[in-house]
Amino acid sequence: MMNSTNNALEVITLVESKYNVVKTEHISKYQVAFEVIREDIHSMLNFLKNSGWKQLSYLSAIDWPEEDKMELVYIVFNWDKGVHIQIRSKIDRENPEMDSILPIFPGCKYYEREAHEFFGIVFHGNPDSMKQLILEGWDDIPPLRKDFDPRAYSEAHFPQREYTETFIELNQQESKQEKRAARQAHIDEVRKGGKK
Amino acid sequence: MMLSMLYGVGIAFFGFVLHTSVAGINRKISGRLQKRYGPKWYQEFLDIFKLLSKRATSHGWIFDFGVIMALGGIIATAMFIPVTNNFLAFPDFDNFFIFAYLIAVGMLGMAMSASGSGNPLASIGVMRALTTMLAYDIPYMVVIVTIIKLTGTSSISGLALYQQAAGNNWFIVALPLGAIVAVLALMAGLGKKPFETYIAPAEIASGPLVEYGGKQLGMLFIMMEITHFIEVSLFVNLFLGGAENIFIFLVKYFAVYTALSLISNVYARFKIDQVVLFFYKWPLLIAIVQGFIAIYLGWVI
Amino acid sequence: MKSTKFSELSQEQVDRKWWEIGDFFRRNSLWMLMYCTGCCAIELPPAMTSAYDMERLGMGPMATPRQADILLVSGYLSLKTLRRLIYTYEQMSEPKYVVGLGSCTINGGIYHDSHAVINQLDQYVPVDVYVAGCMPNTEAVMNGFVDLMDAIKHKTANGWKKYRDNYDWYRQNQIASLGEVEVHDEFHE
Repeated sequence: MMNSTNNALEVITLVESKYNVVKTEHISKYQVAFEVIREDIHSMLNFLKNSGWKQLSYLSAIDWPEEDKMELVYIVFNWDKGVHIQIRSKIDRENPEMDSILPIFPGCKYYEREAHEFFGIVFHGNPDSMKQLILEGWDDIPPLRKDFDPRAYSEAHFPQREYTETFIELNQQESKQEKRAARQAHIDEVRKGGKK
Repeated sequence: MMLSMLYGVGIAFFGFVLHTSVAGINRKISGRLQKRYGPKWYQEFLDIFKLLSKRATSHGWIFDFGVIMALGGIIATAMFIPVTNNFLAFPDFDNFFIFAYLIAVGMLGMAMSASGSGNPLASIGVMRALTTMLAYDIPYMVVIVTIIKLTGTSSISGLALYQQAAGNNWFIVALPLGAIVAVLALMAGLGKKPFETYIAPAEIASGPLVEYGGKQLGMLFIMMEITHFIEVSLFVNLFLGGAENIFIFLVKYFAVYTALSLISNVYARFKIDQVVLFFYKWPLLIAIVQGFIAIYLGWVI
Repeated sequence: MKSTKFSELSQEQVDRKWWEIGDFFRRNSLWMLMYCTGCCAIELPPAMTSAYDMERLGMGPMATPRQADILLVSGYLSLKTLRRLIYTYEQMSEPKYVVGLGSCTINGGIYHDSHAVINQLDQYVPVDVYVAGCMPNTEAVMNGFVDLMDAIKHKTANGWKKYRDNYDWYRQNQIASLGEVEVHDEFHE
């Protein structure tokens, strides 16, 4: 039986010895995260795939408007060691571009299309990456960018139900609770015969 | 002749009313089995009349014509059914092979119409229906031919009379192996659960019926009720000794159909290749063994 | 000997009588097409199985839009599903009814400010019965179906007529929100 804590540590030493890692996070027993520079991603994924991380679990992005950066996240998984590895890299936000990892993981085709649709990242080398996948006929900036306002979009595109004002009029009526309290006070007063 | 025709149409109508009621009662029974209250016993009538009251879309004349051909073909088949010994429209024309051929007219009408709709699921459903038919017909025919060889007649009412004359020696008892095959084939013919591959609502969206709505679907439901009536009555006449009067027929009919739907309630659906493999493996083997020991060895109980 | 006198019925009266007979069958045999896009769909299994047993009212699930009478929209609709929903609704054979489950179909519910989810279903297809709640409990769902049966009996469930008469208005709303109703993707071409 292999010890998975050791597996994670092994991965950290292995990767840090080969690549120039900006930041390493040992998130849990089964999860390790590396932040690397953009140019290292391809060779790193290639290396990890050859060492057993052969499943690309997810590919997505995070928008950081304060830093003016877009962060790409690749998650790969090893079925033998049970360790997820996240590889993160920050790219330019205004003009987000990345080379596709299609030659390494062919399954990234749809993830890249999704990332292009929701974040506007262009993946060079993926012929389908500009095609629409989930949003059909989208006519605004990519919706998962932080500067997109979903409420304004929703109000502009979808009719909102307008409610009549009856609720407010009802609220202006005399409160039944006050009446009830007054009645109860009167009953108490009568019961006590006017005595305190 | 005209009178016989009307009589035959009357038999088809009788079959429709009978089978729709029995199927409705069976829906109630299976509801009770699943600890539900179940629908009204006349729910199937309500469904059919509702469908007839709706507006329908057409997909071209083949689509409409095929439905009429299916219903007409099945009514024409049902006209020849001997319900009891005396309750039959054409006394000399109730040969088994008439049913075997005429029932195909209705089925082909439905296949033509479903293919005319242009929906790929309908084509898959029709293909599966024909494949299932091919699977269960061969063992079933072997058993029927055995019976015809033993009795020397292929008239349905003649076979029923033969069983009654021999002291109610029903073929379900006399040829037990063959009866098993016939029950399996009947379940496949009725589209009951383990062999329900061509309807498969969750898989191919009710197969051949996928594009029908409104009046055409109502007509196809009527056609299916009459088809089931034909198949169950043939079984009653071939294996349960027919009926001397109408009450015996009703009892036998209800018993057969209810038993089959009870069996089908506990099964899941086969895949189409499993259906074909199943029928070509065990029922075919059993049918041939039954034919051999009945005809060449003469071992009939 | 007296013979019974029948007063002459006009064509309209005869049509109405036939329509009432048809309504009797239609309200006792409602087949649903369950468009389970949202979480309210989880209320349907108890409604169908032995707890509440929808089949005793003559209702049941159907596999295709052509065969169904009710289009049951359970929960939120994204733009992508709304296109398919309109396709489905237009394929159903008349008379057809729409039941909207949950507050998402009424005013957007908890997705009222989402970029992908519409807020008001009855702007795009006519809705006959709404069942409010997030999510409505099963009694409320059953009550909604009984309400629909009452509405059919009293001839107030005529959303399908409204859709046919005001087709331009509905179409305009659909185009305003969706841009284009027709589906264009690699799987359809």
